[in-house]
Amino acid sequence: MTIYSKGETLLQVKDLSLIYDNKCILRDINFSIEDIIRPGIQQGQVVSLIGRSGIGKTQLFRTLSGLQKPDRGQILVRESRPWSLRPVHAGDMGVIFQNYYQFGWRTVEQSLMLAAHQNKGLMGREAEAILEYAAQFDLSDVLKRYPRQLSGGQQQRVSIIQQLLKGSDFLLLDEPFSGLDVCVLDKVVNLLLKVSLSHEFKTLIIVSHDIVTTVAISDTVFILGKQDGVEGSTIVRSIDLMERGLAWQPNVQEEKAFGETIREIKACL
Amino acid sequence: MFRPFEKISRTTVLIMVSIQVIVLLSIWQSFPAGLIPSPLRIGEALGGLLASSLLWDNVLVSLLLTLKALFFSVVITLLFSYLSVVPFFRPFAQFIVKCRYLTLTGLIFIFTLLTRDGSQLKLSLLVFGIVPFFTTSFMSVIVHTNAQEFELCQTLGYGRWQSLYEVIIVGKADQVFEIVRQNFAIAWMMITMVEGLSMSEGGVGTLLIKYNKYNDLVHVMALQAVIFGLGLFFDHLLGRLRHWLFPYVKL
Repeated sequence: MTIYSKGETLLQVKDLSLIYDNKCILRDINFSIEDIIRPGIQQGQVVSLIGRSGIGKTQLFRTLSGLQKPDRGQILVRESRPWSLRPVHAGDMGVIFQNYYQFGWRTVEQSLMLAAHQNKGLMGREAEAILEYAAQFDLSDVLKRYPRQLSGGQQQRVSIIQQLLKGSDFLLLDEPFSGLDVCVLDKVVNLLLKVSLSHEFKTLIIVSHDIVTTVAISDTVFILGKQDGVEGSTIVRSIDLMERGLAWQPNVQEEKAFGETIREIKACL
Repeated sequence: MFRPFEKISRTTVLIMVSIQVIVLLSIWQSFPAGLIPSPLRIGEALGGLLASSLLWDNVLVSLLLTLKALFFSVVITLLFSYLSVVPFFRPFAQFIVKCRYLTLTGLIFIFTLLTRDGSQLKLSLLVFGIVPFFTTSFMSVIVHTNAQEFELCQTLGYGRWQSLYEVIIVGKADQVFEIVRQNFAIAWMMITMVEGLSMSEGGVGTLLIKYNKYNDLVHVMALQAVIFGLGLFFDHLLGRLRHWLFPYVKL
């Protein structure tokens, strides 16, 4: 069993409810994400929010990212100085949309520069940081290209780098595995794991309905579902994969416990 | 060539259009001589006009006035359109949009009182005529902006003015150019009308009125051909310029 412990709270969702067109979409959502500490490793957090299509995942995604205000409750994020929790604002989280949207009028390099300029920690060495990331994510050759000249995989990587350059600890990903073929899927999975190991507070929140792939790289799973007779979706189950010894395992999908966990999740949906 | 959605090469298009034009001109030429001049007579008059400095001097006057009017129109349009995203200024832009239902003829006297000379009168009438159409087109571009463009700005931590700059000013610059291209025709069409109001400075409009006055239909048609050709040339030029300035639009 891997040794780990949990530290400070990085994100806390308290009694969140969202009403749209007089219809309750999300109801009493409560969960928190804590810093995972592993001796000798810069271990970030990978949390997955799983739910069936149309359950309100995208609404929760938008609310978490600060793009949409909840009707009730609040989302609090870690403030580094002083160490405290404060309400989330748009821009606090790095957001990677499902279609990897980028400004069509900016080249990859210009788009990345826009993000880098937002990061005070990079002041004066933005260009250097872009080149480093581009090399790391195999995008050096496409820096002068426009988004429409990129493949889907390249667009996804540009979106990820853009949000990393912005310097946010949180990275929200909306259906990052949808529509990817098997080879690209492996690459994306490795890429996300690499990002999660880049900083202790780096927290990936993956909203997806691809249960197997998402759970395989997560340390915690929250299942969004409905309860009988009550309107609106809520977190119906949370699973600590670390506790079950299923986190950070390269071949976790081959383990018996993994299969049982997937069955358990499916039963909750 | 005769099937719906069939794709044909540029060369085929060129040959096809050339044949169509030749056939149409031949049919026209074969009509019995009457009030409407034949293509050959128009062609002769056109040759004479092209060789004379009279045409080019007048074309230059009209072009300079059109470009001046376009410049002022673009500046006014952009100012009010950009500001239209600020609620306080939106009614101003919306009023300009509605102004396209006003007729210029009814306002000529007011403009004559407000301007100092014929040159100013022509320019102000042109600008007044163009701005509502420019603003209508650009406001439509702004209204139909993809919400994700603003959301990306928000996720990057941009403020509202920064988002306005990135999404509307920088992001829509190519479309401003396209609107100018599309509406150049309006300016070019109106020029002949306003030039008739103050004929001392000349211009193709003045020339047209003179030929019309003496029922010189051959020269009227030849001049129309010049105006048409120049319009097409500028349309093509602005299109090329747009592709050169904003290479991403052709991707």
